[in-house]
Amino acid sequence: MKALLVSAHPCADSYSAALAEAARRGLVTSGHEVTTLDLYAADFTAVMSPADLDAYRDQADPVDPVVRQHGELVRHAEVLVFVYPTWWSGPPAMLKGWLERVLVPGVAFTFDRQGKVQPALGHVRRIVGISTYGSPWTYIKLVNDNGRRLLTRALRLTCGWRTATTWLGLYSIDTTGEPERRAFLDRVEHSMAKIR
Amino acid sequence: MNTLVVYCHPDATSFTAAVRDAVVDSRRRAGHEVRVRDLYADGFEARLSAEERRNHRMPGPRPAVAGYADELRWCQHLVLVYPTWWSGQPAMLKGWIDRVWVQGVAWDLPEGASRVRARLRNIRRITAVTTHGSSKWINSLEGEGGKRTLTRSLRAMGHPLARSGWVAMYGLDTSTAAQRAAFLTAVRRKFGTRR
Repeated sequence: MKALLVSAHPCADSYSAALAEAARRGLVTSGHEVTTLDLYAADFTAVMSPADLDAYRDQADPVDPVVRQHGELVRHAEVLVFVYPTWWSGPPAMLKGWLERVLVPGVAFTFDRQGKVQPALGHVRRIVGISTYGSPWTYIKLVNDNGRRLLTRALRLTCGWRTATTWLGLYSIDTTGEPERRAFLDRVEHSMAKIR
Repeated sequence: MNTLVVYCHPDATSFTAAVRDAVVDSRRRAGHEVRVRDLYADGFEARLSAEERRNHRMPGPRPAVAGYADELRWCQHLVLVYPTWWSGQPAMLKGWIDRVWVQGVAWDLPEGASRVRARLRNIRRITAVTTHGSSKWINSLEGEGGKRTLTRSLRAMGHPLARSGWVAMYGLDTSTAAQRAAFLTAVRRKFGTRR
């Protein structure tokens, strides 16, 4: 299947970058055709500009050629993989901005005659989220897990009824040691290698 | 109350801009001191840099965002005015949180402590005024991530007794002019109080 892997961490030598690489290896092992988008490396523009918003309102093609190209990748993706560090219970502004600018009408959804959103990502068979958290799992579950909600609920709603989701989180990252981190890298690679 | 209004919308003629004006005007009429921060007009850089990430355990804001941190420390009532996109704050506003609410400004992690300690004890109220394109029902299904970011994560950095408020218009995409006017009236009523 065609997999699109989107990652967002400012440091190329970060653990998050290693997770993205492990995910990519796993997907390649199981024979998927993987395209990676490292948003920081690509110096992606994170915020919706007035011109972006005008195009959104007119349901016209995005004005930024980079955004059009990323939209084309999303249109053909069967697996969407997101790798990011959780900050303030959600994705970094960089990834949030990518969702806002790329997943526009004509890519992720369409508006029907009444102006209601109709899903357009029926071709996506699975959404995968891979994230690191500073807080422990219990705290995340009690308080909030908004990045997970965003990807497995809000984004999931613009996909088909049969779209599956996978969530892989490493919690309490500030106090985890090298063995746990390595084990999580393996877990990420193995679960990606099992995706059919 | 010292009121800081952080406004985020790319279009100066948007409904969200009218909402901001209603908030600021009613707050001032009720006798509060109000400062307005317009992130788009500032051309705020939303992306946290590699340098900021590497030094994120170094207390205090980076010089580029020091002014933003000062006004956070100044206010007693923080009001965020923005459109909800993908069930949360726009990237611009998320970037303001990522880059300004840092260690030494919003929180501390003392040596040996396992939990962060709130630092913005000056904030007694934190309110979002936001619009949703889709219905309340759809937003419930999506999990209201933006609401939870505000009422749980951000509020926890304020005063222990800080109250949070959620003033939201749902179904903006299919709304009538009368519904939007009614929302602006409700906003004026809510923010026009002495407290």
